[in-house]
Amino acid sequence: MARYILGRLFSLLFVLFAVSVINFSLMHAVPGGPFDEDKQPLPPAAKANIMRKYGLDKPLWQQYVNYMKNAVQFDFGIPYQQPTTTVTALIARTWQITAQVGIMTILFAFGVGITLGIVAAYYQNSWIDNFVTFFAMLGLTMPSFVIASLFIVIIAGQMDLLPMRGWGDSACLLNNAAWRNGFFCTDWILPVLAYALGPMSVIARYTRASVVDVIRSDYVRTARAKGLNERSVMLRHVFRNALIPMVTVLGPIIPDLMTGSIFIESVFSIPGLGKYFVTSTFNRDYPMIMAIALLISTLWGITYLLTDIAYTLIDPRIRLGAEGGK
Amino acid sequence: MENVNPGSLQMALAPTPHAGLENQRHRTLWQDGIRRFSRNRLAVFGLSIVIFFLLLAIFADVIAPYSYKEANFSKAKLFPLQDSAHPLGTDVVGRDYLSRLIYGARTSLSVGIIIQLIALTVGVPLGGMAGYLGGKLDFVLMRVVEVLTAFPGLLFAILIVSLWGGGFWKVIFALSITGWIGYARLVRGQVLSLREKEYVEAARSLGATPRSILFKHLIPNLLTPLLVAISFGIPGAMFGEAGLSFLGIGINDPLPSWGQMVGASGAFAKVYWHLALFPTLAIALAMLGFSFVGDGLRDALDPKLIE
Repeated sequence: MARYILGRLFSLLFVLFAVSVINFSLMHAVPGGPFDEDKQPLPPAAKANIMRKYGLDKPLWQQYVNYMKNAVQFDFGIPYQQPTTTVTALIARTWQITAQVGIMTILFAFGVGITLGIVAAYYQNSWIDNFVTFFAMLGLTMPSFVIASLFIVIIAGQMDLLPMRGWGDSACLLNNAAWRNGFFCTDWILPVLAYALGPMSVIARYTRASVVDVIRSDYVRTARAKGLNERSVMLRHVFRNALIPMVTVLGPIIPDLMTGSIFIESVFSIPGLGKYFVTSTFNRDYPMIMAIALLISTLWGITYLLTDIAYTLIDPRIRLGAEGGK
Repeated sequence: MENVNPGSLQMALAPTPHAGLENQRHRTLWQDGIRRFSRNRLAVFGLSIVIFFLLLAIFADVIAPYSYKEANFSKAKLFPLQDSAHPLGTDVVGRDYLSRLIYGARTSLSVGIIIQLIALTVGVPLGGMAGYLGGKLDFVLMRVVEVLTAFPGLLFAILIVSLWGGGFWKVIFALSITGWIGYARLVRGQVLSLREKEYVEAARSLGATPRSILFKHLIPNLLTPLLVAISFGIPGAMFGEAGLSFLGIGINDPLPSWGQMVGASGAFAKVYWHLALFPTLAIALAMLGFSFVGDGLRDALDPKLIE
């Protein structure tokens, strides 16, 4: 087990190295730099000075080594678009907003999705089941920005029920004073709904399939036969075993939601991580792009590893590293 | 094609096949698949949506009442049915919205199909060689796959498009870079498992050449999962294009794209609801149609399902 985890961590390091090299060379391969003076021409000496200040006059490999040396200490440099802060601070600030949306989306998607899946499996082939299946189909096929646009046009535009965009008052979610004043912000409702529908459908579908699989097994019949009530049969025998295959599929949904959606954040003008990724690529903000790329790859790598480990904890029959065919 | 049918071996071995029975039994996998597919109402519905959009895309010049770039400022921002000449209204600069939607189908579908063609020509041979030959090639390919899957494909495409600029071919290039991975993985996995199958071993021990094993046993068995993967890959690529265009870094303006139309409508969504609604519905309908077809194909072509 320890050896397996070490091996996986090593391969994660390799992936991070490769992602950083690819990103680094991509960004330097294209014409145009962050200090192109198409608006205000600079004297050559001043430009050389700026280039030296940011280390852009050194050979490429040295820039890379310098960068990685600092990156290991969580120093990702200074974002070109906001020179008064650091990349780490900017990411921390924007990620806080993305994480709020993400956590609410996770709670909503998993709560509703798992419930719908269990209900659909329990009443298999009834109208509830058909409804959930159809609903999940819709949610799976529709891109999030399509759902978001529909919501904006219908719920916010025509019915005028909720705000169309913005994240102004939503700081109140972290702010107790706002709650105490009875101030209830509504900015987050549409983004969370639009964002959650897709993952919710995936969750509902997998839960349903997984529960249907388990519900017919012998030990469930035994549990019923020995007189357990439906509730504890479903929760203790069916759902627990149904969880096993779900972990590997549903685990990766979490980092995906936590890093936010570029589309949801652009549609609703939420100043989160995804929106900054887009503005960073427009502005050729190398330090920012690199940091976000490394952050996302790390998160994904760790989650895949964690889901594999969680798999062995839930089901002791599975031994990691054994499936490699050694 | 008869080689595909596992039953054909039995037919060949049977000394005197009964004529009537033969007619009943002798159906190839594809005939079986078509039969199952046409009985699936959702799949047929999906297929008719897909064919509808395909016809729109191919005959856009004939069907569309106006050109997609013909702007008439005196008729800007018309609502649907407000002017009988523009049944779905006009956009901000007075271009007929129906025409732009029809040409949008052409953009969307051609991006989706071209990307799949590129991805197939890169991914299938790579995956096949890696699975069949193994060794160093396999190791290198799997590391590349590992790196490219560690980073979401769409973010990668955004990075590339924003560095090199948008436009039809650049969008295709950006989305193709990660598009082939799925096929390479699928083919590699299939080849790895097929290689060990008893019937391949039997063929080999009967003296079949590697060439005939490849063409008679491996490729026909690969075709069905590939077909299913393509039917999901096309809407996937269309989604990528719509997303990039929606953000304003994909297809550039005079050329219409549904995603770009949704994105451009954002500022007017409160009043001019039709600008967002129609392209949104078009994307949703196309996605739904393709995934019905994909699900139908998977159900129809999976030989493990018993009728």
